[in-house]
Formats: sequence, C-alpha cells, structure tokens
Amino acid sequence: AQARTDPSAPRLPALAGQSRARPMASISAAPSYLPLALIDKCIGSRIWVIMKGDKEIVGTLRGFDDYVNMVIDDVREYTFTPQGKRVTHLESILLNGNNITMMVPGGDPEENDGKGGNGAK
Amino acid sequence: LKVIVGRVGSGEVLVSLAMAKKEGGSKSVLDLERYLNQPVRVKFSGGREVKGILKGHDAIANLVLDDVQEFLRDPEDPYKVSEETRSLGLVVARGTSVMLICPADGTEEIANPFAAA
Repeated sequence: AQARTDPSAPRLPALAGQSRARPMASISAAPSYLPLALIDKCIGSRIWVIMKGDKEIVGTLRGFDDYVNMVIDDVREYTFTPQGKRVTHLESILLNGNNITMMVPGGDPEENDGKGGNGAK
Repeated sequence: LKVIVGRVGSGEVLVSLAMAKKEGGSKSVLDLERYLNQPVRVKFSGGREVKGILKGHDAIANLVLDDVQEFLRDPEDPYKVSEETRSLGLVVARGTSVMLICPADGTEEIANPFAAA
C-alpha cells in the first residue's frame, strides 16, 4: 500500500528532497476539497478521529495510507460508556482504518463544552 | 503509476508514489456534484448521523463537510437519534462508513404505515 508520512516524524530519518505524492485534482473540485488531500494537509498537526462505535482518538497525525489506516502520536483515547467517559494515554499508535467514521482536523472533544460521545443527557 | 523506492540511512525503505493522470473521470453511482455547498444529512454505518454542508467528495464517497452537527443518540437505544446535537466543525467523513446522503430538508416524518389498523 502507498503511504503518506510526515518527513519530520521522530521515528523516520529526515530525508532530503522527498516529494510527497498528491492526488491529481479533478477539474471540478479545488484540491483542498478532496477529502484525502485535507487529511494530508493535517499531517503534523492534531486530528480528532471518531470511530463507528463509541470511541474517539485525538493526537498528532504522522501519516496514513490508501486505506486510511493512521499513525498517530501522543494519543488520548476516549471510550464512552453509559457510565461516562474513560480516557487513556498512548504514546504512538497505528489506528486501523476499518472503523473510522469521521476525522476532524485540529479538533478536540474537550473543546466542545466537555459533552462527548453520543449519549444525550 | 510510478513507484519510487529509496533506501535511507539505517536501511529503511521508503516508498513514495507519483500518480499518473487518470484518463477520463471515474463514474460514481452517486452524483454528489449537485449537492456541493448544500446542507445534507449523512447517516453512517454504526448509527451515527450528522448534518453539514457538503464541501467536497471523491469517487468512493469520502466527504468533506463543513459546519457539521452530529445528532446525539438516546443512551437507552443507540439506534434512536434525539434532537440534541454537538458541533464538530469541518469534518472529513470516511466513504466506507457512509450509508446514506440526502438533502438536509429532504425528509419528513409520516404516520407509521406498518402500525396495526
């Protein structure tokens, strides 16, 4: 699979002259409005990933591949249960793209008045 | 399709990809062009539901949505959606999870046709 990665990520050696592949823009859509191009722009900054179920991941996006499996650093993992939310910290993860539903570049569940997950109060 | 393989420093192999221009456009079952910049409602596999303005899409229905509000679900019944929402802002939705896309004002509630007479 092809991967897009952050050249300055701590685990990869710095490369001179690396070119990052960009998908060709279609005639009708500006490049920044292609969904994967927007994710690509987010590499190196914070991303909030919302899974199909009641789990959310926030961290620094290092890279992703064609299946949108993601490498994320400095992760806060939120699990929402009827009892409330649980947060774990993980240093670095490979997030399986199978269950990813939404991605919010620069987002954070805490910036939402603390109301998280999907249970209505 | 060109694949460039390089060897770096400690011997790690890095693969980068230069994509060739596609001949012609790929046809999608769903014509999302006509919904661009309009408010839409998107339902996901797993029960999540959002509404937002469609800003972008690709052939496999990955979406870019702006001003997104996610409908919160009933804690008792995760498949029932309440009117409470939380604001998400600019969101990329995964096409593999997208189940349904419709205009935001394209639905109305009707009497239950299956209710016993």
